[in-house]
Amino acid sequence: MIEAVDLSRKYGDFTAVDGVSFAVHEGEIVGMLGPNGAGKTTTLRMITGFLPPSSGRVTVAGVDLVEKPRAARRELGYLPESVALYPEMRVDEYLAYRARLEGMRGPAAREAIDEAVGRCLIEEVRHQIIGTLSKGYRQRVALATAILHRPGVLVLDEPTVGLDPKQIIAIRELIRELRRERTVLLSTHILPEVELLCDRVLIIDRGRIVAHGTPQELRERSLGKAAVRVGFEGRPEGAEEALAALPGVGAVRRLDVAEPRYLLERENGLDPRPEVFRLAVARGWVLVELVEERATLEDIFVRLTTRDFVGEAAPAAEPEETAPPADHEDDEDDEEVPS
Amino acid sequence: MRAVLATYLRELRAYFFSPLAWVVLFFFLLINGFIFAMIVSFLNDPRAPGGPPLELFFGGTLFFWLTLLFLGPVLTMRLLSEELRSGSIEVLMTAPVTEGEVVAGKYLAALTFYLFLWLPTLAYAGIIAYHSEVDWGPVAAGYLGILGIGALFLAVGLFASAMTRSQLVAAIVTFALLILLFSFGLLENLLSGETAKTVFGYLNLWSHMDEFARGVVDSRRLIYYLSATLFFLFLTSRALEARKWR
Repeated sequence: MIEAVDLSRKYGDFTAVDGVSFAVHEGEIVGMLGPNGAGKTTTLRMITGFLPPSSGRVTVAGVDLVEKPRAARRELGYLPESVALYPEMRVDEYLAYRARLEGMRGPAAREAIDEAVGRCLIEEVRHQIIGTLSKGYRQRVALATAILHRPGVLVLDEPTVGLDPKQIIAIRELIRELRRERTVLLSTHILPEVELLCDRVLIIDRGRIVAHGTPQELRERSLGKAAVRVGFEGRPEGAEEALAALPGVGAVRRLDVAEPRYLLERENGLDPRPEVFRLAVARGWVLVELVEERATLEDIFVRLTTRDFVGEAAPAAEPEETAPPADHEDDEDDEEVPS
Repeated sequence: MRAVLATYLRELRAYFFSPLAWVVLFFFLLINGFIFAMIVSFLNDPRAPGGPPLELFFGGTLFFWLTLLFLGPVLTMRLLSEELRSGSIEVLMTAPVTEGEVVAGKYLAALTFYLFLWLPTLAYAGIIAYHSEVDWGPVAAGYLGILGIGALFLAVGLFASAMTRSQLVAAIVTFALLILLFSFGLLENLLSGETAKTVFGYLNLWSHMDEFARGVVDSRRLIYYLSATLFFLFLTSRALEARKWR
């Protein structure tokens, strides 16, 4: 549904996006992940036709965005990063205006508005003035605008930024519900969001795609060898050597100086956990811990996006482990387009 | 056309829902009422030269021009700057619309509101007609002049509004451009060269309005307003497109 071929965008001498190619297929929900200033917003703006690419091509539902912008935009619903609505209008007036802008009229427009209002759960603020709405409601009104004309493709730029946890859950649920009938491309720097919502992930850093795949694939690829964590009680003699000798175990690393806790690297795709258990039983050691270590997207993300910064003063991409930072003001340093 | 209509209706609504519009209307009517009363009392003086009062009302006084020079920036400064500042331009320009349609819709809304401001002044003509005679031809011509010059001023204002995300800067730039436009014409009276006099005479808005008020409709004037208006609207639309390349 979305096809981007070799997209690049320069602002003056600064290259914000550098040769990005990807495709989003029908019914898919793809997440674009990257640190602040990686070029996410610029890429999304090129896909929605707000910014023309410096080079490269975008087609939406098979329509070229530069050649037939009007037809392509009809297929697009867009939720920009900074939600800007007209504060003096009422919600239903605004939606009616948007419907007219999209070329809908009469009963068809009313029906579309009712549907969007229902789906985005803004029924109770329908007659309120937009300026008086909370951030969460404004976000939902903007989302209602994006789905109003029933576009085949939805582009959502950081859809949950600046919302409280309850609102985040509501928006995520809505996005998940939409996936069934629409293709969704969303950007975020909140990792759990990607795991929760997306079929596929594009990790973008410094204007390039550095990795892509399903969250699962990325996890596996990054971990290479998955690992198992083992802990014993007391002072098991020669545990390290015995563990290393087990089938399916590669390197063994002691995790703790005081406690006998080890990290076993897996080898040959075998699961060493049953062997560890048998070993403990045979030697009479008491197992207190036997866990499979799974790489999170966070690990991958941090690895992929900080590698380049080694040697520079500060790691530019700090893992955002917890839910959304409230200060999204400085998110867009590099991405902000002076318009 | 559909997008022009949608934008037009939204902007018109925005005018009538903003306090600014009503403040403008209040002072506009206050000032014009004051001018009108002054003109009438001036003409009531037996020593006054006499003549139709509305001829003086349309452009005969400096107040008329001051009002217009303020209206230009005030009515247009918000139109595009605010979209650029708030970022609503992003959802607007990703809808299936063109820059030209957006500019046309907004411009027509400003022009409509401008004409709405002048609407109550028809009462002055009514008052004169009640107490004495009114020659309706020159009155109609006067309003035509108001439409023409207003159309040009608003186009200049919209252009300035497309250039900046600050309403204040847009207003100041518009005001400066309008002063320039206005005083260009006044150079006619200061210059001596024959060619220069003709050129600047062609641009002299004050004498244009005098002609209209006397009922002289010169098509050259209308062509000047129309072409300059279209030129500025074209520039506005290009300025909006240029946003993409910065």
